[in-house]
Amino acid sequence: MNNKELITSIAAKLNAPKSVAAILLETTVATCAQLLMEDKTIGFQSFGNFEVRKKDERLSVHPSTQIRTLIPPKLVVNFKQSNILKDKLKDIPHHD
Amino acid sequence: MIKEKISSQEIIDLVASKASVSKRAAEEFLKVMIASIEEGLLAGESVKIKSFGTFKLQWNEPRKSVNIQTREEILIVGYYKVVFVPDSTLKEQVNEPFAHLEPVELDSDPTKTELVEETDPITDPRRLFNEQAIEIKNLISEIQSLSKKTVPLIQEEVPVVELLNNEIKQIPDTKVENIEVESVNEIDEAKKDQENRIEENETDTEPATVTVANDSETIPEEKIEVPNLTAETINHANLKDDSTLKKDDKPVRPDFISNPNYISTPAGLVEEEGEENKEKTSENKEPQLISELASTPYLENIKPLKKHKIRKWVLLILFLTIGSGAGLFIYFAATGDNSVTNITQHLSISEIANTISEWITPAPKPTPKPVKVVIPKDTTVFATVKPVQPVDSVQLLFDNPRVYKEFIASERIQEGSRLTIMSKRYFKSKDFWVYIYEANKEKISNPDEIAIGTLIRIPKLDPRLIDTTNPRCLLKARELHDIYVN
Repeated sequence: MNNKELITSIAAKLNAPKSVAAILLETTVATCAQLLMEDKTIGFQSFGNFEVRKKDERLSVHPSTQIRTLIPPKLVVNFKQSNILKDKLKDIPHHD
Repeated sequence: MIKEKISSQEIIDLVASKASVSKRAAEEFLKVMIASIEEGLLAGESVKIKSFGTFKLQWNEPRKSVNIQTREEILIVGYYKVVFVPDSTLKEQVNEPFAHLEPVELDSDPTKTELVEETDPITDPRRLFNEQAIEIKNLISEIQSLSKKTVPLIQEEVPVVELLNNEIKQIPDTKVENIEVESVNEIDEAKKDQENRIEENETDTEPATVTVANDSETIPEEKIEVPNLTAETINHANLKDDSTLKKDDKPVRPDFISNPNYISTPAGLVEEEGEENKEKTSENKEPQLISELASTPYLENIKPLKKHKIRKWVLLILFLTIGSGAGLFIYFAATGDNSVTNITQHLSISEIANTISEWITPAPKPTPKPVKVVIPKDTTVFATVKPVQPVDSVQLLFDNPRVYKEFIASERIQEGSRLTIMSKRYFKSKDFWVYIYEANKEKISNPDEIAIGTLIRIPKLDPRLIDTTNPRCLLKARELHDIYVN
């Protein structure tokens, strides 16, 4: 499901035009990004938490050339699903 | 680290105010949005939100574990997990405080290998020398077979080897000079006295030999020289081999010095001066060289036959003097003055033995030794000349001091502000922070620690200077970076 399909789905459920849904989605995304940049955790009830985590700097060694490289620290966005969502996902049959 | 947690309600409020919709509508929208995402995920799809990220499902395999308290083995059943992969824009936004950092390679091997390559020929000069000796032997045999052909005027494109062939045929005299001048340059100051003595000797013998061809008046003077020379030269005639060259060298010098006839003649002096001048001006001033050379009395003495070869001489002298500038040939200097002395010996021998007419075609034997010295020098000249960069508008832009008059924006330094981040924002690459620094130099004492509240003005830059696709721009910026950071 890509962005367009998501907007269509939301618009259908809201009984609103796609443009409105698109603007709202954009605003929400921008808000979330802004909050994450401020190093805040965002919790969506029954869905999960968005959180910024710091990955420490580390030393990586190239396996074949043995060149050691210092990888700088970085901040990444992490999502942790809520248990409610986890339970819902149990309904999906697993087929290998 | 305790982070402030934003609940759904706060998000709803923010969205409502930003999108200027009622809170109820925003709340409804958020619920629907989450429901839609869940729906998509439950359908087994991944859900992508533009400029935010992708939600995916990941199957975690069932695994065995042990209950810590009861030590019972338990089986954790497999489950699906929602994985969120942030979009690159979100990643960059979040990582902005660390955006200026780059991975650093700690072991850089390329420099080591370069060093090895550089030292190789120096550490093993014998091998190099042997190779050249073989080459020279081949050259000599060629010369001998071609000796009496007329040689066309040499263009600059003519390969070195060919050039040398021609030189060898016609002008052994000048070669002696060149080598000697070089050896003077290269050898340590301690050796300089000795060298000067040799130089004097050389310059003396040469005008003499030239005048032999021209003036009958100078012949008596020469004849006085001849007996003095014979004693030593005959001795050394037996020791012509390369291996004994170094041994030859030392006994020769005292003989020459003690010889009263070896006081510089005016011609010799002028010639010497001329050579030295050429050295000084040797840096790519060919026309000047030619004029200087032409003005020296030395050339006036030369037969008209040789006059059209002046050009070639100049070329050779140019190559040799540039080569001497490289200062790599202390090693060769030793062999150089060997050859010099040897040639004079040969010259003097031939003075005795040959008539004046034979001077037009010089004996082939003296030629090989100067060549030996000449060849390595020429090759290095080519090596040093190559890396010269073409001067174009971009290069001029780099070289000229930059003046910052126009500014496109200004920013106040805050907690966590960095010039690199600003550079990335305004110029698309953080490497160009140096130009922001240059424009605000008077306000910034240390680019790593700028006082909070400082007003930084972003200069308007020539787009050619900050062309991220041009590796030279990046290179230049990094050069400046190294200058300012260290």
